[in-house]
Amino acid sequence: MTAEKPIKPDRLLKELSDIWTTMAAPEASGAGDEAHGDGVLRACAMTLFSFVDDEVDPAALSEILAHLMKEHPSRSVVVRLKEGEDFLDARAFAQCWMPFGHRRQICCEQIEITASMNRLADVAAIIGPLAVPDLPRVIIMHSARIVRAGALRKILPLGDKIIVDSARAGAPGFGELGGLLDSGHLTGDLAWTRITDLRALIAQLLEHRTVNRIVIEYQGREASPETRYLLAWLESSLCSAKVGLKGSGGEGAGNVSAVQVDSDLSIRVTDGGAEYDLGGLHQRAAFGPGTDEQLLNIELGIVAHDPVFERTLNRITA
Amino acid sequence: MSPDTALQDPLRFHRKSPPCAVVIYGANGDLTKRKLMPALYRLAYEGRLAPGFAVIGISRTAMSDDEFRSRMHDSVKKFLEDSPFDEDLWNSFAQGLYYLAGDVGDPDSYQALAKCLAEVEGSRKTEDNTLFYLSTQPSQYAEIAEGLGAAGLNKGKGWRRIVIEKPFGHDLTSARELQCRLEKVFRESEIYRIDHYLGKETVQNIMAFRFGNGIFEPLWTRTYVDHVQITAAESIGVEGRGAYYQEAGALRDMIQNHLLQVMATVTMEPASSFTSDAVRDERAKLLRAVRIMRPEQVAANAVAGQYGPGRSGSEPVIGFREEKGVDPDSQTNTFAAVTFLVDNWRWAGVPFYIRTGKSLPKRVTEIAIQFRTAPLAMFRKATAGAEALPNQLILRIQPEEGISLKFVSKRPGSGMQLRPVSMDFNYGSSFGERSPSAYETLLLDAISGDATLYTRQDMVEASWQAVQPILDYWSTQKFKFPNYAAGTWGPPAADEMLARWGHTWRRP
Repeated sequence: MTAEKPIKPDRLLKELSDIWTTMAAPEASGAGDEAHGDGVLRACAMTLFSFVDDEVDPAALSEILAHLMKEHPSRSVVVRLKEGEDFLDARAFAQCWMPFGHRRQICCEQIEITASMNRLADVAAIIGPLAVPDLPRVIIMHSARIVRAGALRKILPLGDKIIVDSARAGAPGFGELGGLLDSGHLTGDLAWTRITDLRALIAQLLEHRTVNRIVIEYQGREASPETRYLLAWLESSLCSAKVGLKGSGGEGAGNVSAVQVDSDLSIRVTDGGAEYDLGGLHQRAAFGPGTDEQLLNIELGIVAHDPVFERTLNRITA
Repeated sequence: MSPDTALQDPLRFHRKSPPCAVVIYGANGDLTKRKLMPALYRLAYEGRLAPGFAVIGISRTAMSDDEFRSRMHDSVKKFLEDSPFDEDLWNSFAQGLYYLAGDVGDPDSYQALAKCLAEVEGSRKTEDNTLFYLSTQPSQYAEIAEGLGAAGLNKGKGWRRIVIEKPFGHDLTSARELQCRLEKVFRESEIYRIDHYLGKETVQNIMAFRFGNGIFEPLWTRTYVDHVQITAAESIGVEGRGAYYQEAGALRDMIQNHLLQVMATVTMEPASSFTSDAVRDERAKLLRAVRIMRPEQVAANAVAGQYGPGRSGSEPVIGFREEKGVDPDSQTNTFAAVTFLVDNWRWAGVPFYIRTGKSLPKRVTEIAIQFRTAPLAMFRKATAGAEALPNQLILRIQPEEGISLKFVSKRPGSGMQLRPVSMDFNYGSSFGERSPSAYETLLLDAISGDATLYTRQDMVEASWQAVQPILDYWSTQKFKFPNYAAGTWGPPAADEMLARWGHTWRRP
């Protein structure tokens, strides 16, 4: 084993500072050049810790983070976790883009740490001091490795909020999420975020009416986390209505395909939206694209207790 | 918990609107095509409209519902900004579009509208809620309101609201006359006077900036503020609108409404709550506190200008009097600058300079709050007087919306060299999400019954009172126009107006 160069938070912060100094220099920012005449704008609204397994495509992850930066400029710390030999490395860089029609680049800081699982304790010691003071710290947990190793709780003190996607393979289940809530952590689940547009549509269509029975139809043998969230949300919101699930069997990820409310309202989930019939009125509603970056954008905008989500999750785990 | 509230998720759901029919007078006009219909489509795209929603377009041109839908389809596709166009969603939205050909002076057209509204209520489930949007000549506002009243369309099972666009009269007397006719048909709470400037995200952000933060408001007084400059500059001329503009002029077109509203937003007292009447009460109070000039004070405190031939960048530009439809001896002001004073405890003695004009060097709207200089010039010997530079807070409305704070800082190195620096907050780049257009915001507000960003009659009258002495005085003058070249910052008299107070205009 070769001697490893120690990694210190102070050195990484110094590297970041040097990057900014370099970018702000007239020759780097192109001062005087019409396209870049106003230099770079440093923006930061939070610290974003992303835990991923090393197999995740760095380019795809980078693209998601770049999208997030536009709405939630942040200091981004990506921790790539791998199995195998003892390993720990880190680098700092900046990610910049030129908003359309603007003369100035927007740049956000990024630190990437690659570590073997047995160095998780070191990672926590390194990245803690890298958080920007006084701003929210959010953890995006996309590492099945941490969940498998039962090490989720080791990294929780680093963040104010932890975001998971319970629909992903190897993600924490409802039991673990309930445990996080019980221990007082702010929690977000992209599986819940994914059904926001559908829930908003249902809430609008059920305004001013009495509901007796709702059937949620899904495709597949088992209901997906999204379908279970929808069921629990309706059950916890509409105490007097009977809410049930109906699976089609066969192939399918278990996602919601339709919602039937009594005999006069039916909602059919389609690509990019939903179509519904309400007392003879046929209409279409458009939903957001439901991409990871769109869902994360929504979750990053909520760094506070989320009573409706918490009520729904408690219903599932009760 | 009732189902209505139990299903709500305020953290995640957008605000929705109640079912309603929007009746647009002037449905074949430019505003409908460019702004209103794209805004309504966008609200539908965002899921902000209720399932029970319909639009009834009215204008004199004969066409069928399908022709109207087809024209609106093309307009929305063309003028939709920063948004994708979803053909399927359009088809669903377009089912709720209807058209009536009719003349506003014909009583039968109102009966036809009544019949159409009744049918739409049944087929589209609009619950009889109706918003009348008058996108017509202002001279037709009262006539349409009276026609609606005579047909009994101002009352019903659901609510009724009427939206009108500025100008609200062409002077104080005509503004009162218009109100007198409108209020015979609609209650004040049903009249929505639109000022699209107030719907701009960055104008709304002024309130968030002032009243959502604790550190600025204590400085927001005559004790610390030296003066305030509000600039709304257009780099283009009247561009074919010469005939209209000739009747209005810069003072009526911009200062009487948009810019006095912006000034009120910057200077009003904090409202006790963010509710419609609480906010509008404070705006109205501020406008009533604007000092009314005596005739002999106008010449020193208001400057009229009109552009002559010049350049816009490298392009030669014709003068206003050479524009199509403009009188070659026109006395219309294409530039106006006014010094206002506000007679209240907070602002006594602080001048507010407002200027606006066509064919200025660049398009910019901003508010510059200039603070008093540091009381002791302790760095004067070591620098070239840089420490005397006052702090400025710049609220940029357009373009590059944002906020900048200018202050001096020590240059690195030995010795005490100071230089001014700018700390910038860029609204667009700090929040990457799309901002709704002013019309989206204002239409949704009107449908939802939120009049916070709409102008009330007492505000309209107060702002006419503030500019009326200037209009009266200027109407007696024979100006030596043109008095500034296109592509420059207005006539020298505008600089002299500030020089009398010891100030100079910012160059945005």
